[in-house]
Amino acid sequence: MKQFCDNFDYQIKIDELREILGCDFISLAIAKSASEGSEITWQYASGNLNDRYKRIVLHSGKGIAGIVFKTGKKMVVDNVEKEMHDKELFNYPILVSERLRSLVAFPLYQYSRVAGVLLVGYREEQRLKPQLYDELNQQCPEAHIGAFEIKGLSV
Amino acid sequence: MKTLSGEVSKQLLEHMFNNNIEPMFFFDARGAMIAMNPAAENILDPLDVQQLYNAQGNDNFCLTCRGYTTEKELTTCLNCYMKNDSANFSSFQIYLKTRHKGVIPFSASFQEIDSNGTRLLMLRDLTRQLATQETLYRNTMMKNTIKAQEDERKRISRELHDSVAQELLSSLVDLRVLKYLNVPDEVLQKLQHTEASLTRLLDQIRNLSVELRPSSLDDLGLEAAFRSHFKWIEKNYGVIVEFIAELHGTRYNSEVETVFYRVCQESVLNALKYAGVDEISVRLFETEHFLEMVVADKGQGFDLNKRDSKGTGLGLYGMKERAELVGGELLITSQLGQGTTIHLKIPTRREE
Repeated sequence: MKQFCDNFDYQIKIDELREILGCDFISLAIAKSASEGSEITWQYASGNLNDRYKRIVLHSGKGIAGIVFKTGKKMVVDNVEKEMHDKELFNYPILVSERLRSLVAFPLYQYSRVAGVLLVGYREEQRLKPQLYDELNQQCPEAHIGAFEIKGLSV
Repeated sequence: MKTLSGEVSKQLLEHMFNNNIEPMFFFDARGAMIAMNPAAENILDPLDVQQLYNAQGNDNFCLTCRGYTTEKELTTCLNCYMKNDSANFSSFQIYLKTRHKGVIPFSASFQEIDSNGTRLLMLRDLTRQLATQETLYRNTMMKNTIKAQEDERKRISRELHDSVAQELLSSLVDLRVLKYLNVPDEVLQKLQHTEASLTRLLDQIRNLSVELRPSSLDDLGLEAAFRSHFKWIEKNYGVIVEFIAELHGTRYNSEVETVFYRVCQESVLNALKYAGVDEISVRLFETEHFLEMVVADKGQGFDLNKRDSKGTGLGLYGMKERAELVGGELLITSQLGQGTTIHLKIPTRREE
């Protein structure tokens, strides 16, 4: 299965998105195909504090990307500190290494299956606004980013 | 027994009454207070002392006494020592209301000292002894809990690894055989899906087993177990653990190895939770009489004397307990902004 459009630069796209949305961190996780063991890795990141995201390997059901990947539904956390128990936080390494305080993670579909995750994060609480969805809709024509369709863009 | 002259014995008794640090109370046959020594007056509320002397009633000591300990209850008034002559009250625990410390336990003896029925209640402050006892009890409990937890983990992990995973593997092999039989494409495709999900399941079970307790720790030793654990850390949290092993595959007592593994696990987890670093270094080495490990990070560090822990606060305590379990020693040094170092040192008893 071909995962990417050859001529689409995801890095430039998420850098742009981060500037327009005014968020602190955007990352794109893409899953390997099932035969390779369905591992999920954060492949592109913008606004990252360090390179820890590159080394994190998630499995379906584990971590932010794993959960969104498994459920196929977007995940919204408005206040990490309040909504997540301190102990639980360690199941979400990306939140810790990037010190995110509010975030939304969208499933990315390809051939009507979840193939990746788009994470938009802030290092402050309660930064998720309805305009975020409008702007994402505007910036991603037909809710597409490269070869993927972003699900859950309506509020 | 040497008989003392009346003068000497009277003098001694007077000294004992006035200077003994153990409180003494004298009661008459009806249970009314006759006298108490200065030590007794000191531990009680002055108001209560007044009342005890003034009151004529039988139960006036109940003002101070909060009951005594039986096999059934910590404090009870059932079969009060004042009233029950037949029972043996040569040594028992009593709770009294005191001036400064509230209700506290004393070790007491209660006896008749003359034919008129005059009785003496003597006390000894037990607070310190009880505290010592409790600490001892807590330590033993903690050690037993740790051991029980470790044993249980080992059992479940073995079970998962040896029977559940094996069983699953053999059905997976069966499933693969099906591919070479003459089956329609449709079935084949479905089969591939099943195979993929079973493989995932097998992976998860193996992960679970290793997370509980790595069998490599028992089979291959510390270095191998550490290496695979650090690889797992790197994959899960993106933190690199720089591991320097100088043991060259030497094996130790399994208890010692377990302690090292758990302490290392806990310290590395602490470092990646709270230190905010990308790299942690672990050095495992042997000196003349000790097996030692140093886990160090260059992260935020913390104030060792402050009590406001970020986590449960049990982690460091548990590590110390584990170290003590095998006669070892745990040194924690940390400075704000300078990072944290955990040094574990255990005397070696190499496996023959």
